[in-house]
Amino acid sequence: MLLVDDLLLKPFVSMLDILHAMVLEEIHDVSAIRDNIKENQLLYELGERARPEYEQRKLELETRLEVAEQVHEKLIGGNIEVQ
Amino acid sequence: MSDNPNLYVYGITEQTDIELTVDGVGDGSTLRTVEYRSLAALVTDIDTTDPDRSDEAVAAHDSVLQSVIERDEVETVVPMGFGMAFKNARTLKGVMRGARRALRKALNDVEGCVELGIKLVDPADGGTDPDELRERLESDLDPLSAGQTDDDLFSDRLVANRSYLVEQDKRDAFDDAIDAIDSDYEDVLVKYTGPWAPYNFVDIRIGAEASH
Repeated sequence: MLLVDDLLLKPFVSMLDILHAMVLEEIHDVSAIRDNIKENQLLYELGERARPEYEQRKLELETRLEVAEQVHEKLIGGNIEVQ
Repeated sequence: MSDNPNLYVYGITEQTDIELTVDGVGDGSTLRTVEYRSLAALVTDIDTTDPDRSDEAVAAHDSVLQSVIERDEVETVVPMGFGMAFKNARTLKGVMRGARRALRKALNDVEGCVELGIKLVDPADGGTDPDELRERLESDLDPLSAGQTDDDLFSDRLVANRSYLVEQDKRDAFDDAIDAIDSDYEDVLVKYTGPWAPYNFVDIRIGAEASH
C-alpha cells in the first residue's frame, strides 16, 4: 500500500527512487537500532555480555544510529537521490 | 555558574525543607526547593534554559530524583521529564500556578508510592514459557501494587518488562515476591530495579514553552 500511496501522491517520483528510499528505511531502521542499544545495555547489566564486547557493540550501534538518523532526516527532506 | 542562574527542575513534592548536595544536571550541586503554596519544585542552579540531553545528563536527572525519594521524610515525588529549565524562580512559580491542579492530582495519584521495575530475560538457549512467566507476575505482583504498566519489549529475549507503582509499606512484600520468582525460575535472568520516581504513572511536562 505504501508503494501505491507514494505513487499516487508523487506521480513524478520514479519507482526506482521509491524503492531506493524503502530499502534505505529498512537498512537504517532507527527504532530497531535503538532497541539493539537497549538490549546490549541490558545483557551487559545482567552479566551475560562482557565489558569489552559490550563496549565494542555499543560503539558500533551508536555509529549506526548516527548514520541512520542522518539518512532518515534526508529521506524526510527528500534529499536522497539515486546515483 | 553565572550570577543569575536559571533553575533546573527535577520534580515536584510537598516537602519544603530539602537541601541536598547532589551531582545534578549542568553541574548543579545544591538541590533545594522553590515553593508555590503547598507545592515545592526540586531545583538546582543551571547556566542554560536548554540543557543538552546527553546520557550523563539524563543519568544525573534520575540520580538526583533517586536520592530524594530515598529520604524518609520525602513521601511523594512527581518526576518531571528531562530538560525542564526556567529563567528564574518567578517564572517557575508562574508555571506552577498554572499547572497547580494537574500537579496536585498527580501528587494524589502517586501518594506514598515509588516505582519498581522488573525485566525477565529468556536464557540464550530459550526454553521458558513466556505466558506462564507473565501469569506468574500478574498473580504475585499485581495484588501488591497500586498500578502496573507493560513497557517496551525491545529485545526478542525480553519476556516481560513491567513497571509497578508500589506503596512504600508494601515494598518488603514486593521484594519477597520477586525473590520467590527469581528462585522458582533459575534459568530466567531477572533485573529488578528501583525505587524510581513514578515516571510511568504520571505524565506531566510543565511550561516547556514558558522556559525560554
